[in-house]
Amino acid sequence: MATLETAASSTATPRPVDVTASAGRRPSRGRSRAGLRWLGVAPLTAYLLVFLLIPAGELVVDAFRSPAGRFTLGNISAVFQSQYISSFGASLELSALAALFGGLLGLLAATAIVHPSAPRFVRSTVTTFSGMAANFAGVPLAFAFTSTLGATGVITVAFQHLGISLAAIDPTSTTLGLALVYNYFEFPLMILLLLPALDGMKREWREAAQNLGASGFTYWRTVALPILLPSLLGTMVLLFGGAFSAYATAYALSGSTGNLVTELIGNLTNGNVTVDPQLAYALALGMMLVISVLMVAYYLLQRRASRWLR
Amino acid sequence: MAALSPAAPATVRRPRRRRHLPLWHAFWILAAAAYFIVPIISLVQFSFGGRVDGHSAGFHWYATVFADPNFASSFWLSVQIALETVALSIALLVPTAFWIHLRLPRLRPVMDFVSVLPFVVPPIVLIVGLIPFLQPFTFIYSRPEVLDFIYVVFAMPFLYRSLDAGLRAINLQTLAEASANCGASTWSTLIRVVVPNLRSAIIGGSFLTVAIAMGEFTISSLLSFNTFPVYIFNIGQSTSNEAAALAVISLLLTWALMIALYVVGRGGRTTAQMAATR
Amino acid sequence: MARVELRGLHKTFGGGTVALDRLELDVASGELVSLLGPSGCGKTTALRIVAGFETPDAGEVLVDGVDVLGLPASRRNMGMVFQSYSLFPNMTAKANVAYPLRIRRRPKAEREARAVELLDLVGLARQVDRYPHQLSGGQQQRVALARALAHEPAVLLLDEPLSALDAKVRVQLREEVRRIQLELGITTIYVTHDQEEALSISDRVAVLAEGRVEQIGTPAEIYNRPRTPFVASFVGTVNQIDAVVVSPAEGAVRCGERVLVVDGDLSGHAQGADVGLYLRPEDVVLVTDEPEGTPGASGTSGASGTSGASGKVRSITFLGPVTRVGVDCELGALVADVASDVALGLGIGDPVTVVVEPGRMRTLV
Repeated sequence: MATLETAASSTATPRPVDVTASAGRRPSRGRSRAGLRWLGVAPLTAYLLVFLLIPAGELVVDAFRSPAGRFTLGNISAVFQSQYISSFGASLELSALAALFGGLLGLLAATAIVHPSAPRFVRSTVTTFSGMAANFAGVPLAFAFTSTLGATGVITVAFQHLGISLAAIDPTSTTLGLALVYNYFEFPLMILLLLPALDGMKREWREAAQNLGASGFTYWRTVALPILLPSLLGTMVLLFGGAFSAYATAYALSGSTGNLVTELIGNLTNGNVTVDPQLAYALALGMMLVISVLMVAYYLLQRRASRWLR
Repeated sequence: MAALSPAAPATVRRPRRRRHLPLWHAFWILAAAAYFIVPIISLVQFSFGGRVDGHSAGFHWYATVFADPNFASSFWLSVQIALETVALSIALLVPTAFWIHLRLPRLRPVMDFVSVLPFVVPPIVLIVGLIPFLQPFTFIYSRPEVLDFIYVVFAMPFLYRSLDAGLRAINLQTLAEASANCGASTWSTLIRVVVPNLRSAIIGGSFLTVAIAMGEFTISSLLSFNTFPVYIFNIGQSTSNEAAALAVISLLLTWALMIALYVVGRGGRTTAQMAATR
Repeated sequence: MARVELRGLHKTFGGGTVALDRLELDVASGELVSLLGPSGCGKTTALRIVAGFETPDAGEVLVDGVDVLGLPASRRNMGMVFQSYSLFPNMTAKANVAYPLRIRRRPKAEREARAVELLDLVGLARQVDRYPHQLSGGQQQRVALARALAHEPAVLLLDEPLSALDAKVRVQLREEVRRIQLELGITTIYVTHDQEEALSISDRVAVLAEGRVEQIGTPAEIYNRPRTPFVASFVGTVNQIDAVVVSPAEGAVRCGERVLVVDGDLSGHAQGADVGLYLRPEDVVLVTDEPEGTPGASGTSGASGTSGASGKVRSITFLGPVTRVGVDCELGALVADVASDVALGLGIGDPVTVVVEPGRMRTLV
């Protein structure tokens, strides 16, 4: 709220200070009109306050509370027990893998789509299918991969006949397998999110580079990549965040045996083994910190990207 | 045409450069296609399998699904929540987006940022924070309608971005001035002029919202509401073939929504299409 | 420096549109030739073929007698200035200009020195460390020009380099382009749709229409001796007068009731054939009919000797130093350019006498 008010008064200030007019009335009228203008965003602000910011604040406070309601650092220190801290490691590793896979594959696919020699229909086809794949997630996706790469999955069984074990990429028990599942929506998501940035690349840049003697690779190394890098990293940060936050897919794959942070929080909140809401708050606080770092990185990269792509 | 031309040197190079690409491309396209299609084929195969003698079970599991009264009740619960979420989202976001574009344009970058927040705030974190806050309000906390309010937050990035793109495309300032010049109030400008022009953005954003609300698992499961995805999950704990059949149904529903979105989007700008909760 | 020849360039686009129709063009070493024409005449396509961004269906592009069509754009050793947006946004002005030298792996010190020298040449000595988004449109195009020259290309190609700029900057910059081009003596092809631009900076102008060269010549030739109705009407403004050939040998035609001897070859016309006469507005002289002997609108001595056609002022358009006056007279509806101070005395509906020097009237082949 405080930010809203300062912003509102700053709208009122630039209004011409009319020296000849009765100085007492003018500014106040200007302020109230400016205030009315800000009233237009009040419903959304209030809504987000109740359903996004207050829960976040509640969580921060509760992370430092004992079940009896007293201040404690016990929840926080409990997070640093090996089991919980390693869950952060697992989540971060999974997110990094998923962002890297999805990011690089998505970049390759997206550049292929916008390449001048690619036929027109390719783009609409790929974006439509990307839209479909990016929306195939959660419980149904988990089941699809269980039936493909799970212990009795179609591909697993087929490879068993060839004498090859696919246990290393079993999505129900390995991080690599889970990353492969996440990639199913991260890869198309990368394509969809990166296309606008690629559309911002001017044809003239490629042609000017060629004209000045650059090969296709040199153009990519010296011009396209430096320009795209902020958008590229920004989008990969979003993919990272998406994988880090994901719960449904992982939970449906590994059940209560999973060791990702999200899965632990779920178990501690509603699990059949142990219920310890205080610890869940502390873990969630940890996740919020990670996400905050990501958002700052995303914001800085976005700002950098918009400097070039105007 | 080109074959007749005497300018052979110009055309000689191109086939040489292009001959590599199709093979190379074809390999990657096939690999990507396999990656995306095989899990779906496996899923479908599972939904027809499960007989001890190894023969196809046909539509047995689908019949089982449709015979289960819990299927219908969870499905309609999800539909109801989805429609309520759409209505609430539109009521909240359409006037706000309009107002920001018309009167507070410098809030636009702020909104761009705010609108991605729910995209990265983990649902599990949000719900862990919401439970202690909402618990005292039993009249809402115990009813499935509580999900409407929470889903609006998660649908916001998609609906807002869709509206934002739509508003950018219509030159709102001029439209609003022209409308005011004809004597319309701001409110009637919104209803009579802006909303009809934003139709495809609103419909597109609504489809995405439906997709989110229909697929959301984390929150409804932690609040113990038996929505459609929770139902699928629970079936999966016991009968995997039946769960596969349900997953196929859910997949077809999502695709139908996406195709509808595509058809709507053809009229105007297509917006980025990702909405599922993961 | 290099000589450029385009031989029988032919290009058809997907929809069957003929962009180039067996185009022929010679550009001498060190010469600046403009390709002038309306949009869609194929001028940009021709330039892009020379640069290597398009492939013709037929024909050759020779640089010093060697066909370069087999070479990719990156190995043609040409410098190109695009219409706009061509600077790399991630590099400063200096880095942009040094880019072609960086590609050629020249030592850093040499690159920097050359970039600074070129930026100085285009008048941007103080903006070397600015990024493109910190430069105005005109400055950006200066940097683009410097960059296109950095690797000492054999040929400089300019694709409507000034069309995205304000009128004033445009005039200023075109003079600089010409100054630098003369200073370096670089063979240059300049594409533009602006006839004033083409006439003011070129050694020769090639007027293109529908994928072929309608006429090529010095700016004065193009303006004063257009060979086709298209050139006459595209370059500058013309009056067209219908006439009938009286004597092909003497160049005599009849127009209304007058017989005039005109400039131009009539040998291809039979006696009694219809011809079109073309006349620039500045060659139409208006004499006001006022008795007190105000001097004629433009002081031509021939006013008494030649055919005066009486007419009425239809319109008056102020163009700065001259005023364009529309007149209805026996010869038809004509426009005349009159010194503005003289035109002050005119009003719509005023009777005037139109005097035309027959030698200024031209027939086209």
